[in-house]
Amino acid sequence: MSAILELKGVSKRFGGLTAVKNVSFTLNQGEILFIIGPNGAGKTTVFNLISGFFHPDEGAIVLNGRNISRLPPQDTARLGIGRTFQIVKPLASLTVLENVMLGAFMHTSSLRQAQEEAEKILDFLQMRQIEKSQARGLPLAMLKRLEIARALATKPKLILLDEVVSGLTTSEALALAELVRRLPEWGVSVVGGVEHVMQVVMKIADRVVVLDYGAKIAEGLPAEVVKNPAVIEAYLGAKYKELAR
Amino acid sequence: MVVFGLCALLLPVFVNNNYLMQVFFRIVLFAALGLAWNLVGGYAGQLSLGHVAFFGVGAYGLAICAAHGVPKWIAFVLAPLFATLFAAIIGKIAFRLRGPYFTLSTIASAEVLRLAAANWPLAGGAIGLSAPVLFSLGSFWKSFYYSAVVLAIVAFMVNLWTSRSRFGYYLLAIREDEDTASAVGIDTANYKLRALLLSAFLTALGGALYASAFQYIVPDSALTIEISVQIAIITMLGGAGTLIGPIVGAVLLLGAQELFKTKFQESHLLIYGILIVVVVLFLPEGLVGGFEHRSRGKKQPAQAAAAQGGR
Repeated sequence: MSAILELKGVSKRFGGLTAVKNVSFTLNQGEILFIIGPNGAGKTTVFNLISGFFHPDEGAIVLNGRNISRLPPQDTARLGIGRTFQIVKPLASLTVLENVMLGAFMHTSSLRQAQEEAEKILDFLQMRQIEKSQARGLPLAMLKRLEIARALATKPKLILLDEVVSGLTTSEALALAELVRRLPEWGVSVVGGVEHVMQVVMKIADRVVVLDYGAKIAEGLPAEVVKNPAVIEAYLGAKYKELAR
Repeated sequence: MVVFGLCALLLPVFVNNNYLMQVFFRIVLFAALGLAWNLVGGYAGQLSLGHVAFFGVGAYGLAICAAHGVPKWIAFVLAPLFATLFAAIIGKIAFRLRGPYFTLSTIASAEVLRLAAANWPLAGGAIGLSAPVLFSLGSFWKSFYYSAVVLAIVAFMVNLWTSRSRFGYYLLAIREDEDTASAVGIDTANYKLRALLLSAFLTALGGALYASAFQYIVPDSALTIEISVQIAIITMLGGAGTLIGPIVGAVLLLGAQELFKTKFQESHLLIYGILIVVVVLFLPEGLVGGFEHRSRGKKQPAQAAAAQGGR
């Protein structure tokens, strides 16, 4: 497997706070990698760094051999990084279909073609029935899907899914996880981020990176990582680390 | 829309009153200005209250060029080009700001121009400048009325094209959420600027027509913030981001203003104010916007329109 995305010793500071500390990891072609960590561990900052909304203070982010550390979001998007937002950001007054067409416009200026592309993606995400509804007022589960649909329409090489299942019921989360698991069929690699819905992570992640206070504390297969004492300590405190032994 | 157009074209056949023709000229001119503003304030959602700057550069550009011996029709083309250049400079700076800060910077840029014109001998200072009459055949106000109709049709066609193109969708995306727009690869600063340049060009043509029709301009007539506000209110009242909103807004607002002026003298401003408050409170999307919104649930929404390449 070849690496598509590589973070090399990336750090990001906001004033006196180091939100991301010397983080390195790679993402392979067709892989589903999940970044997990407690609230405030720096997951969203990592996503903002990869997609160009922030730029690292140290280190480099390399996409297919090209350093993209200093590129603005519209350029990383054009190079193949699709992203969703933790706090969903739909284009509220547009319809579901139009939202997805906006992603498809990256590769065509024809409305008809953009619509055809969008419909294919909405089929995959099982959203065709609501394609004519305004994005405003959709339930959260559908807004989360809409984020993915819009990103997928840009034909990205990788998709960043920030807290893609947070706020969903267990059954909604599992249904969405099943769709995420199938994203590699579209030629897309995935970097997901979740705080604590381990059920989803265990089910669909090929590999897991664990962040705590901005630093990487563990990396490996999902089943290994959940037994790692450092991970247990980060989530549950030192007392439980002893108990787990 | 076709009905609107036909009415506008046939109107002068039935009206032979110069004052009325002047009123109609103003209404159609402001409909055109509203349509021009709609690109930036409606589709792209950038609330500019500085459009009088482009209007003023159009008006002053025509007057200054003509005063220096440039043939009036060449001046009429040069003036909007100056305004577009000015818009490029202002846009580069102002579009670094978002929301109310953008709005404030547009007001500031227009005020700087007004003060400059008031103190600059070349622009006539506070005394002002005379502008050349562009049309000297037939009835004076009828020819100006028709020229405003032509400008409104051009502005409408630009809006129509925008609403049916990727360009327009990109502007809508920027209006709805700039972060999402850039996440799908839209260079937001660049598209906002393109919208502003188009808008400034059309607005300046309107300014040049205005200067020519009234033959004399001073900073307080061609660069007053009231014109900026008027353009924005007309469009928002009719429905920002809709195709016929600016036209409906201009007809209703300027029509009402004219009626109330004769009926209630000075108190017409009060009624004008109340009208605006009522629309803002009860129809925040404007008359046309609110109406479309209500019918959207029942009828085919934008999907069908998208299939035919419309909205």
